[in-house]
Amino acid sequence: MTVKIAGVSLANPVMSASGCFGYGEEYASFFDLRRLGAVVVKGTTAEPCAGNPPPRMAETTGGMLNAIGLQNPGAVAAREKIIALQHYSVPVIVNVSGHSAAQYRAVIELLDDLAAVAAYEINISCPNVKAGGMAFGTDPAVVVGLVRELRGATKKPLIIKLSPNVTDVTVIARAAVEGGADALSLINTLLGMAIDMERRRPVLANLTGGLSGPAIKPVALRMVWQVSSAVDVPVIGMGGISGARDAVEFLMAGASAVAIGAANFTNPLVCPETVEGISAYLAENGFASVKEIVGLAKKEWLKMGDESGCGKK
Amino acid sequence: MLKLQKLEIIKQESVAPGHQRLTLAKGINALAGQFVHVRVSETYDPFLRRPISVHDCTEGRLVLLYRTVGRGTELLAAKKAGETLDLLGPLGNSFPLTDRPQAVVVAGGIGAAPLYYLLRSLKLAGKQVSFFYGARNEAELILRDEYRALVANYSEATDDGSAGTRALVTHLAAPVIAGLDATVYACGPSPMLKEVARLADCYGRSCFVSLEAQLACGVGACLGCVVPVKGREKYRRVCVDGPVFAAGEVFFC
Repeated sequence: MTVKIAGVSLANPVMSASGCFGYGEEYASFFDLRRLGAVVVKGTTAEPCAGNPPPRMAETTGGMLNAIGLQNPGAVAAREKIIALQHYSVPVIVNVSGHSAAQYRAVIELLDDLAAVAAYEINISCPNVKAGGMAFGTDPAVVVGLVRELRGATKKPLIIKLSPNVTDVTVIARAAVEGGADALSLINTLLGMAIDMERRRPVLANLTGGLSGPAIKPVALRMVWQVSSAVDVPVIGMGGISGARDAVEFLMAGASAVAIGAANFTNPLVCPETVEGISAYLAENGFASVKEIVGLAKKEWLKMGDESGCGKK
Repeated sequence: MLKLQKLEIIKQESVAPGHQRLTLAKGINALAGQFVHVRVSETYDPFLRRPISVHDCTEGRLVLLYRTVGRGTELLAAKKAGETLDLLGPLGNSFPLTDRPQAVVVAGGIGAAPLYYLLRSLKLAGKQVSFFYGARNEAELILRDEYRALVANYSEATDDGSAGTRALVTHLAAPVIAGLDATVYACGPSPMLKEVARLADCYGRSCFVSLEAQLACGVGACLGCVVPVKGREKYRRVCVDGPVFAAGEVFFC
């Protein structure tokens, strides 16, 4: 079940997705965090951030919208929480957020001495903040510049988290790799909104929010396929995964690992159950490792049409 | 320690149109004011759990009282005795008891649900309780006889005068909050809580309100359920910092 992402060895390919797992402490009372491949902690900014006013969330068909607005205690307070996570001896990936290149850099500088930090996930895709966030992740020139600057700030692996709210995600993916990304993670949430008919107004105080949950899985799968075909660095797939079946689909689409987000809210045990489910799938189908199914659907797709004349155009 | 477990439904009763009372097998020991996060479907549709307040709890046997307001609670209402329910809980804090021998409790509509257990707890602690029960009409004064039987002083208010006094429940409670050195507790719609909080502040009474919010995780991780609070912190989470808050601490929307 082991995989290696950007030089980091993971016991299995399943991570908790940033923003859906806090700093791990809430879920540590449900299961041993060692059962995860890695914990990706909450988006952390240099200074504490209060976040957006409520209402911040709305349930939708097959998912939910959120507009938390990066509420977090700031990098200095996050240090303590990351150190506490060390106790579980699970790799910790810190999601780094900011409104300017200098702010992203400051987070890394405040945390870089921590042995517990295995890698950084650079959030250039948060849809819920006015400056930075997604604005960073939609312009390839800005992405190259930001990643290059952060590359100079740390020797630890940089995973760049991509936004789906672009016309061609491969353009941004290539820009991130050009800047020095060691891996890519995708997708962040899709920009959406909800209206309350009875109260005749938008549900979210922020007006728009990020859509997550099973509803976005087909979009995420498509983008994982495209990006993993376009670049040579590993891809961490996420977006609507709620069990082993979804996870295997992402691996087959070309992801080297997966992350589970909103499904943790409904089933706090979804991550360990997914690990077990993938393991069972591999055993039942005679695969010796996770690696054997990474991108498998692409290989099969190339064969389609060659044999039968149906399927691929 | 947070608990995720499946408990058998012992009884599912319709206690009034659109209102259900559900009794669970032994397994969760909750305090008055806490809630459970219920998975209403085996699938991810509806996507999120539903937070339901604890109506009563005796020796680990939970009773939930809820209003069917949408697909989630309708699915919950369709579950029958003998089926199991996937629950997360007990979650949240509880109503604190103070050294005051008297208590004033104000309920608005389905906000009465968690107050039943509070009334029982206050009674057990030997407090003299005045209970004010407000609703739109007589039919929505759910389980009124059971509430009445619990307290020394019971008053009702309805918007249409079909039961009790035709007034806002806060109008009935106001002179008692003014005249009695009591701890005040309330659960109900936001404008009602705001008025109870104002009265309590005006007469210098300790006051605790139970807030309702849409929840995603229920365990403090997602930060989706925050309420604005006074002071540096700016926002606090309803699911773990509440649902019970000191009335002076929060801003009512």
